Amino acid sequence: MAAEKSSIKIITLIAADGSVFEVEPNIVKEMKTVQSYIDELDQNTVSIPLPNVFGNDLAMIIEYCKKHASEEETKEAKEEFDFEFVKRMKSDDKLRLLQAASYLNMESFLQFMAKAIAAEIENQSVEFVRDYFQIESDFTPEEEAELRKENEWAFK
Amino acid sequence: MKTENKEKNNDMISDLPDCVLLYILSLLNTKDAVQTCILSTRWKNLWKNLPTLRLNSTHLETFQSFAKFVYGILSLRDSTTSLHILDFHRSGIIWPSLLKKILKYAVSHNVQRLNINVSDVVSHLPSCLFSCQTLTSLNLSFKYATVLFPYALNLPALTNLSLKCLIFCAGDDGRVEPFSTLKLLNSLIIKYCKVRDAQNLCISSVTLVNLTMISCPYSFTEFKFELSTPCLLKFKFWGIPIQKLCGSNNNLYSTKHVDINVAMVLNSMDTPFLLLKWLAELANIESLIVSVLSIVPDLFKVEFPFLRNLKSLKVKLRDIELEQAVAMSQTEAVELGVAFDAEFEPFSFVPDGIIDFLIQNSPFVDVNIIDF
Repeated sequence: MAAEKSSIKIITLIAADGSVFEVEPNIVKEMKTVQSYIDELDQNTVSIPLPNVFGNDLAMIIEYCKKHASEEETKEAKEEFDFEFVKRMKSDDKLRLLQAASYLNMESFLQFMAKAIAAEIENQSVEFVRDYFQIESDFTPEEEAELRKENEWAFK
Repeated sequence: MKTENKEKNNDMISDLPDCVLLYILSLLNTKDAVQTCILSTRWKNLWKNLPTLRLNSTHLETFQSFAKFVYGILSLRDSTTSLHILDFHRSGIIWPSLLKKILKYAVSHNVQRLNINVSDVVSHLPSCLFSCQTLTSLNLSFKYATVLFPYALNLPALTNLSLKCLIFCAGDDGRVEPFSTLKLLNSLIIKYCKVRDAQNLCISSVTLVNLTMISCPYSFTEFKFELSTPCLLKFKFWGIPIQKLCGSNNNLYSTKHVDINVAMVLNSMDTPFLLLKWLAELANIESLIVSVLSIVPDLFKVEFPFLRNLKSLKVKLRDIELEQAVAMSQTEAVELGVAFDAEFEPFSFVPDGIIDFLIQNSPFVDVNIIDF
């Protein structure tokens, strides 16, 4: 099993919009969803469709994985990269990448995106959080008032 | 009772699994996390399974509202969910019963990381805290040194311990040796603590790798301590050396990185000589950060065949953090009604010859002078 895995040279990832990415096996190690595909297959080249991830997002995730998989980069360089990586994203991008990280089952990238999102809603009102996440309430005004009353100790 | 909006509710975040949403909520202060219950049905009960509670009184105006908040959380939270992390900050008064309740709750819910920061006078902590089988990290931080730290600990999983303003006392054998039963202890921070009855604090641990000791730079809190820590790699000390580090048997052969900030408040002639004795005991260190040694007559006449492996020497001219600590301890001394008359004069120059003296046995050393 181990020998088969190491014989794989290139992995082809196909995003939802059809764009194709060729990456080395160490880049997808963090993507458990992809890894489980690879483990099941017995081929030298693997092509994996990812119907829930768009090309732009996949490109960003691969960029992140390449940086973090690199042994030449210092810890400081990786931190600097993370900082710039988040800085250039809009809130929609963050939510999409969080979704992609969840689908691809990438633990550390998921935590990284969750932290970036938490930093934006930290110490903000629940109304801000609702707008940020674009959540439409399915409560009637009466139901919401009831919930606020039930948990009034948290709304002081 | 659902509105017609229900079917349209397809926002990106709400489709994610609970564990992802809970991870985000765990990063927020718990008050904000609970408020998400009104977002939609998806979020209504989510907070009740939070594995992390961050209870901070600065987010609530009065003590009553803070107490209500804490009791609200504890009574409505899903009691079958483990509490992995509890972060509890209270500035201002606190009822002993509230602190006791939250600590007992944490211990009975398999807490792993506990961070308690209380500024009120606390007389004692529930004993169950010191026999918690799941605890890996414990940080107790008080403003006044009024709580006795127990001498018998049963914390088999503990790797990180940080203590601010606690009092150590002797066990049945008459020795003050509170850490020797912690079989996995890796990191220990002791800040502004005291030892009862002017005893020696024995820090004995075969696993300890990082040790930080910070004392208030005024004499009455200085206590003698003894290290029995054969795996210690990093040692940071801010205060005044008043005795040897290891008593008779030197066992600091693993120590590689040392940061010593000497508070020269007392202008004692002994301090530079004691510091040199420490450096002799820390014979294998590779990096040393040290605040400036004052020059006393005859200091350089001492034979100093040590520090042969030193690769990096940093000499601090002034230390802002230490000065802040001094300023803070002055304020606290005033609050405690204690006369504070120690002088603190940070040095702003490196006395001639001190660097050459320290590096006389280390041919490949990188020297830096850090000025703040």
